Amino acid sequence: MAIAPKTLRDIEAIVRYCSERDYTVQVRGGGMHSGYGSPPVPDFVMSMERMDQVDVWEPDDLTIVVGAGARVETVEAMLAERNQTLVMPERPGDATIGGVVAAGISSLRRGKLYATRERVLEVTMVTGDGRVVRSGGRVVKNVTGYDLHRLAVGAFGALGVIISVCLKLWPTPSGAATVEIAEAGEAAVIARPLAVLETADAVEVFLQGTEAEVEAQAERLGGHFRHGLQWPIDPVGEWEWSLRVPPALTGDALTRLPRDWSFLAVHGVGEIRAASPSAVGCDDLRVWAESIGGNMVMTKGDPEAFDPWGAPPPGLELQRRLVAEFDPRRILNPGRLPGGI
Amino acid sequence: MTLVSELRAVLGVDDVLEEPVELYLYSKDASLMRGQPTCVTFPEDAAEVAEIVRIAEQHRVPIVARGAGTGLAAGASPTQGGIVVVTTAMNSIDIDVENRTAWVGAGVINLDLSVAAGPHDLYFAPDPSSQSACTIGGNVANNSGGPHCLSEGSTTSHILGMEVVLAGGEIAVLGGQAPDPIGLDLKGAIVGSEGTLGIVTRALVRLLPVEPDVRTLLMDFPTVEDAARTVSDVIAEGLVPAALELMDQRMCMAVENWLQCGLPVDSAAVLLAEVVGETEGVVSQADLIAEIARRNNAFDVDVADTEEHRATLWKARKSAFGAIAQLAPDYYLHDAVVPRTRLVETMRAVYEIADRYDLTMLNVFHAGDGNLHPLIAFDSSDPETNRRVHQAGEEIIAVALKAGGALSGEHGIGMEKRDMMHTNFTELDLDAQARLKEAFDPAGIFNPAKVLPEGSRCFDFGGARRELPDGVWV
Repeated sequence: MAIAPKTLRDIEAIVRYCSERDYTVQVRGGGMHSGYGSPPVPDFVMSMERMDQVDVWEPDDLTIVVGAGARVETVEAMLAERNQTLVMPERPGDATIGGVVAAGISSLRRGKLYATRERVLEVTMVTGDGRVVRSGGRVVKNVTGYDLHRLAVGAFGALGVIISVCLKLWPTPSGAATVEIAEAGEAAVIARPLAVLETADAVEVFLQGTEAEVEAQAERLGGHFRHGLQWPIDPVGEWEWSLRVPPALTGDALTRLPRDWSFLAVHGVGEIRAASPSAVGCDDLRVWAESIGGNMVMTKGDPEAFDPWGAPPPGLELQRRLVAEFDPRRILNPGRLPGGI
Repeated sequence: MTLVSELRAVLGVDDVLEEPVELYLYSKDASLMRGQPTCVTFPEDAAEVAEIVRIAEQHRVPIVARGAGTGLAAGASPTQGGIVVVTTAMNSIDIDVENRTAWVGAGVINLDLSVAAGPHDLYFAPDPSSQSACTIGGNVANNSGGPHCLSEGSTTSHILGMEVVLAGGEIAVLGGQAPDPIGLDLKGAIVGSEGTLGIVTRALVRLLPVEPDVRTLLMDFPTVEDAARTVSDVIAEGLVPAALELMDQRMCMAVENWLQCGLPVDSAAVLLAEVVGETEGVVSQADLIAEIARRNNAFDVDVADTEEHRATLWKARKSAFGAIAQLAPDYYLHDAVVPRTRLVETMRAVYEIADRYDLTMLNVFHAGDGNLHPLIAFDSSDPETNRRVHQAGEEIIAVALKAGGALSGEHGIGMEKRDMMHTNFTELDLDAQARLKEAFDPAGIFNPAKVLPEGSRCFDFGGARRELPDGVWV
């Protein structure tokens, strides 16, 4: 059964009701990250689409408080009018802000502007036993109390239903350019480019700053540039992957991808998004990724045929205890996290 | 066996102190609160820390981790007694230039890390003013900030992994060089937890490339409000400088009297701004900041054109707290944080409170973050003054919270502010935080009675006369 609550009080009541009766709930944003993990079929699907209000946007403070169900694309369009950005995925599709935070997905600009977890200032959630809890604050720097809000990033809703988040915004300067280079190493002449991305078609450096700064940088990279930032699209296929390796091994990882895979690599970060027609060859790739301290996460595919997460992370028992403290009946997105939590 | 003899069997005789005079040295941090340790230990690696944790659990005594003791919230004061674990013997630095990371022992001094990374054109971004004394372990425990966290974020954004000793003496290595480790972000919860969830023995830190160019601007203003408005206007203009620091006249006079570094002492406020990046970018950004400052009545805009000049300006800023020893034997410091748009009205209210209580207040703070550091210089031997200092402090916090702010921007809660936590959070919020603590530390041995308001209190506000070391935190 699907439900689409409109208020915090509704969600509180729904979660409490489900917790008391052991009904499992799949919390759903735009459905863009539903391929992660191997959740069983839930008793209820709770769509957050109506929790999409912008509570407070303080342009002069570079912060926003927004409902979890708000679409990334919609909010970015609003912020663009004041030359600001959430620094969330550039091609978000239907993704919601709550979904991006819960899945811990980041922008391609993360090498310079940091990952989503570093931009979350405050989270309000309804815990698995139906309590409204707020962590963090609406200020850009804060060490008041434990960072439950950081723990909620990438937790796939296991601690609570994310209701709203306060995010640190970033200004988007007017100068921007995309420069094609022959190989990623050439980007080293720029101390901190916005992004260096590689696909099967091209290696491109993305620059942003004042007009003069961007032109000077483009000049140093060879001079052939296009104005603006034309972000590549994520690879699409029957199976999709997120390969995470130490940044210096990004190029090495690409040489290991089977030829029929498509990919988008974020140099300097070590994140490679890839798509494949089958899971053939994935075992070897995962073994390699894990041997160098990385991971290979299946983001779309058949969890029956291939383990979506791979080797469980350290501190698994502690993770179980934590989740049990917040969702004692384990009703919110059970089975989504590594280790079957 | 006794606690001390068990610890000595593991660590060796010399690495466990128990003489009263030795214990006294480790009985407090840079806050005003003193405790009484049972013994003080100097483990050399995670395995030794794990043994200490097991012994502490058997004896049911608290463990309090301590780096350099520069913390201002009594996070490292053993207020409940127990074993103080000093991290300074864990001081290795292992830099990976290719990946721009380093594995760093918890006891490594913050500045030593950037000095070691310097030859590779890399640096560690968090730079608290105590950086020549404070340790990486302390930075991790407090999620430390510093002037340059405006554009790069606080310590948490620079910790990619950690080796940590958890309850039961379990040694876990969390995170790593690869992005987005799977599962719950345990290290994200541990950073900033003030030693209450476990003991971090090594950290994997992010190093940033040194930017090709830098401009540092010193601007002085006829009123604090003009300076604060400049800060708000710079952010509103879409500029996020590397640092944006404000010092008021009284602070400038104290620093100038001590260091003679050329700070303006006739102006009500001085603003220090720094922009980094490509030359073309820093030039245009510096121009824009200067223009905004002049629009807000700045008298002078001084742009540091040499590294020496720049170093002098920063020395002036970072020595501010050392300069206060000239004025009074003690100081009481808050670090409430407010939305940047509320800076002007908050500063006005803070000055009004100090005037009303007839207290000497100086301000030097991270204006770009909205992180205030109103500092009251006083003599703690007078109980009546203590009372006024305390009441003023509480009113300052109340003003900041009313403006939509929070209790602490970078110093932490420790024991000093834990009884104010209910002003920042609801009962349910605090209950959730207690549940987090419970999951990590079921036996309650890691730095008990810190962060969350519970348990007994031990506060020797009156008996804390002291000398202020150079470079003490902020």
